[in-house]
Amino acid sequence: MPKLTIDGQAYEAERGKTVIQIADEVGIDIPRYCYHPDIGIEGSCRMCMVEVKGAPKLMPACATPIAEGMEIRTKTERVHEAVRYAMEFLLLHHPIDCPVCDQSGECWLQDYYMAHAGHDSRFPLGQKTRRRKAFDLGPLVKLDQERCILCTRCVRFTRNVTKTNEVQVFNRGHRSEIGIFEDRPLNNPYSGNVVDICPVGALTSSDFRFQVRVWFLKGTPSVCAGCSTGCNLRIDHSARAVGGGTPGYTATDGKIYRTIGRRNVDVNKSWLCDEGRLSFHTLEHWPRLRSAMTGGETRAVVELLPGIHEHFDSIRKAYGNSAIAALVSATNTIEALFLTKKYFDGRVDFRLGKEVELYEQRQDDLLRRLDKHPNTRGALDLGLANELNGLSGLLRRAERKEIRGMWISFHPQLVGQDAPEILEQLRQLIAALEFSVVSTTHDFGWARAASVLLPMASWAEEKGTYTNYAGRLQITNRAVMPPGDAWPLHALMAELLNLSGVQVSHDPDVIFDWISREVPLYAGVDYDAIGFSGAALAQPAEPVPEVVR
Amino acid sequence: MTPAKGGYAVDVPVMNVSQKARQEHATVWSTFRAFAVTLRRLFTSLFKGDTPTIYYPEQTRPYSERFRGTHILTVRDDGSLKCVACYMCATICPAECIYIQAGEHPNPEIEKFPTRFDIDMMRCIYCGFCVDACPEEAIIMSREHHQCAYNRDETIYGIEKLMARPGIDAKGPGYRPNRPMAEAKIFDKETQKACPIPSVIDERHPAVLYESMIRKRD
Repeated sequence: MPKLTIDGQAYEAERGKTVIQIADEVGIDIPRYCYHPDIGIEGSCRMCMVEVKGAPKLMPACATPIAEGMEIRTKTERVHEAVRYAMEFLLLHHPIDCPVCDQSGECWLQDYYMAHAGHDSRFPLGQKTRRRKAFDLGPLVKLDQERCILCTRCVRFTRNVTKTNEVQVFNRGHRSEIGIFEDRPLNNPYSGNVVDICPVGALTSSDFRFQVRVWFLKGTPSVCAGCSTGCNLRIDHSARAVGGGTPGYTATDGKIYRTIGRRNVDVNKSWLCDEGRLSFHTLEHWPRLRSAMTGGETRAVVELLPGIHEHFDSIRKAYGNSAIAALVSATNTIEALFLTKKYFDGRVDFRLGKEVELYEQRQDDLLRRLDKHPNTRGALDLGLANELNGLSGLLRRAERKEIRGMWISFHPQLVGQDAPEILEQLRQLIAALEFSVVSTTHDFGWARAASVLLPMASWAEEKGTYTNYAGRLQITNRAVMPPGDAWPLHALMAELLNLSGVQVSHDPDVIFDWISREVPLYAGVDYDAIGFSGAALAQPAEPVPEVVR
Repeated sequence: MTPAKGGYAVDVPVMNVSQKARQEHATVWSTFRAFAVTLRRLFTSLFKGDTPTIYYPEQTRPYSERFRGTHILTVRDDGSLKCVACYMCATICPAECIYIQAGEHPNPEIEKFPTRFDIDMMRCIYCGFCVDACPEEAIIMSREHHQCAYNRDETIYGIEKLMARPGIDAKGPGYRPNRPMAEAKIFDKETQKACPIPSVIDERHPAVLYESMIRKRD
């Protein structure tokens, strides 16, 4: 373990790391454009220069490995001057179109200009080199060559992470520019990440482009619900009402504008797949269910819950405990699954299709997995894969009148389509039941036949925990409010449990404390322990086999 | 510089009011003098046409060049909207009355333009911050200050109404820090009939909508 000093403070660091990595670990800010921890080192932007004692010239912190007894200074006048000249060089032909640039507000050029440069350009605006603007690299990415600083983060991403090599540097010297080959657009399933890692406004997202200025957005750390990988992301949503009191102006419920990968080395590094990145749009595909319905009329959820409880109670008294059951979804949070299990006395299943076989299987080498539910592992950990045998088993029992009353909670898949045979089986199940309560996020036609239809909060509208394929417990946060009268499933179940005489809080934090007291797997874990980056659970539900593709 | 008489910057005659009041005596003659003033005004109004009354609203006093009235969206030479939808005005607006939706402009040099630009005139406090914030002098203010509408929907001004309306032609431009304007123009129906790049795709050009602005009560 070499010992080194940075800015007069002594540190002990791991051999083989570079100076900028150590500085990031201990929280010393070194400006950088080309360095990114997950894509390899280039050393092209010359922003991270530091003074090393004994070296005649300044050294780039991203490409200098640490050595025993190194004395590094990052805040000297020499360093400041080097950064200022690097900034002037990078901004020499910058078009200064910040007013129309989507990066404006989160642009590293703006940040470092204010912090380190503050100069006037030596080129008047009319004499700057013009290059191609706003052309499509692929379906999700637009390139503006005037704003590009040639840090080659995007090139290294396609070379080292996706290994597809679509983006390249063309020409040499002052003619260098980022581009693609004519017949090979940037259309790999992870292309949206180049927009996230671009430090300037050169690469912008076609999906988010011109939707909103970034300073109106509020970021909520959350977890993707697109598949069982559970990538960490940040949901950017409207933070305050913009505009006057006209319908459609005032964002009282909030609106999600984009999602951005959040760095978690244990799960997804900094990356998101394009399907997961755009999965929040799936919530807008169908009209949302805004109020509860029974017998064709609209009612408030809170009025209907006592009736639902009485119905289940009378079925339970007349036909025994086995006549009621629940079919939940692997997109429900652990808190909701646990409370459902409590209310239905363990007679709960979650399997619609082949989730359990698929949840550990990779779809490709990077992130995506074949099971498109975020919490299959969490449902397995709670023992919800039981003798009820999933949707088909429940359908058989309902047709034999062994089960007469059921709660069905349905979330549409955020990525891909729900299999039509599953929806057909759900329709048959509702038809076979005497009393059915369907809680769902959207106004689906097949669900209208249910005795009671309840609106439910979807992903990003409820707080809770998911367990990903590898047994990592992660918190999904509420970014926006559920539409209309929609409740999260854990709140619906907490209310039903309250009616049956068990006092339960609606707060997922408190519900999780109950889970950690009762389920040995979660013993000693609470929301504080999970935090932003999740907590690995003690033991896996089953041994994890190594399956590739 | 010698201090001006009476402490004013310009030479103002100083009058001792109490002194003057003491000199005036209330007599019968002063009553007749008052009648004479009234009669003189009567005859000058009748025969010389010198009336101090302003027939508002047909006549108004001249307003300042810096008057902060209802906004104007300015245009380029070809009649397309100058605004690039940068949201600076919406960001600075303390009343949060500006709503913008941006779209992709067919010309990559311009890149961005507003497909919707609404100002809620009932919320607006006419502070003029939007004019100061604008990097393109795309929004200025007029000397028009009447807000007459049959319902509240009409007080939300869209692009067409902000670009051209009878009030702008009648009252002229008001607060615009860059006077005379360097690049922007006020939309003129006569000269800017042809618009090569439409400011609003799939909708009629603002000039066509000019007549339809004054809605009649049903």
